[in-house]
Amino acid sequence: MSGSGKAMNCDAFKEGILADPSATFEGAGHAAACNSCAAFQAEVQALDTHILKALAIDVPDLVMPELPRVADDNVVSLPVFRRSRLPGWFAIAASIALAAVVGVRLLGPGADLTLAEEILAHIDHEPGALRVTDVAVTDDRFSAVVRPVTGTMDRNIGLISYAQSCVINGREVPHLVIQGEKGPITLLLMPKEMIDMAQAIEGAGVSGVILPVGNGSIAIIGERDEDLTELERNVIDSVEWSI
Amino acid sequence: MNEIDADRERRKRFDRVAGVFHQDMYRYATWLSRNPDVAEEVVQEALLRAWKSLDALREDEAAKPWLLTIVRRENARYFERKRLETVDIDNLTPAQSAMLAETDDQETDDIRQAIFRLEDDYREPLVLQVLMGYSTKEIAEMMGMQQGAILTRLHRARLKLKDDVEREAAR
Repeated sequence: MSGSGKAMNCDAFKEGILADPSATFEGAGHAAACNSCAAFQAEVQALDTHILKALAIDVPDLVMPELPRVADDNVVSLPVFRRSRLPGWFAIAASIALAAVVGVRLLGPGADLTLAEEILAHIDHEPGALRVTDVAVTDDRFSAVVRPVTGTMDRNIGLISYAQSCVINGREVPHLVIQGEKGPITLLLMPKEMIDMAQAIEGAGVSGVILPVGNGSIAIIGERDEDLTELERNVIDSVEWSI
Repeated sequence: MNEIDADRERRKRFDRVAGVFHQDMYRYATWLSRNPDVAEEVVQEALLRAWKSLDALREDEAAKPWLLTIVRRENARYFERKRLETVDIDNLTPAQSAMLAETDDQETDDIRQAIFRLEDDYREPLVLQVLMGYSTKEIAEMMGMQQGAILTRLHRARLKLKDDVEREAAR
């Protein structure tokens, strides 16, 4: 301690000022009577100015994640084994966008390219639907989307995490998402959208099919390594058009 | 208020809160992880979690510590999931190198590198105090520690930085 009558000794002051150099530091009065500690305080405060400058790194523009609807909450993070370094929705959306660019391959002649392209473009416009979640949509939600335009569908074909009425080729159709083994799988139930034969849709990272089903068709698109065979069969069995 | 209006209001509130504190979230996440790439991912996850639990935020005035706490948890979850070890200072990613890129202020550059080398236990309270402006009492609450322990860490953090700077100056 370098002076008398001070409430705090120099060591305690220096320890304190290193922990909290702000003006509210309770021992600040000590420096008024001790030149050495006053110099030390100035030194630490100058250091803090540089610390602040060093910490204030450049910040990239805010990129808002795709936010789920409030009613569709309980969205969970992608498990580790499914994650890439980018957020899952971004990777899926990007792969679908690529798929739209790459184009589609048809299983048979005369199939409708435009329908396939529109489906891919539509999925690309609703990336928020393609989330991994363990929460199913409510029965009310499912019924509200499926029943009016479709007829019936057994919702127990899988965990349906998204249900929305959308317009494909000028017709309102149910857009559903089922949680698959490799990621979310898109289903588009398209009554009145009749096609002659099955059409495969392939792109970077995604693949699927448009299946002719009675007086309409059903599109099923998932991650490229997802086995859709059983789901295709179950969907066909479970859907009954009301038209 | 109908459901659509309520959703719109909720979104407006979230945009406002996230817009104001996004920079703080990113900087905090970056200094926690010492990796800008990881920080971006952590902030995305944190924003998503904040959106889902926005109703838990009673007053917007409390948004900053609320968001930073979410960032802190998301960062811990990230490293838990990835099982990442400490940063290898001799093998930096391009993003980390860019973060430590030299500016026209040598002393700030030296301190930034010194902060980068600090142990996590020392770096985090320092960021919360100097960059975020929290008192030692508030930091103790955020980190779930005694105030005395925070004071000790802050004291040691500055002492290390001070020594580093003096060592650099003596070269």
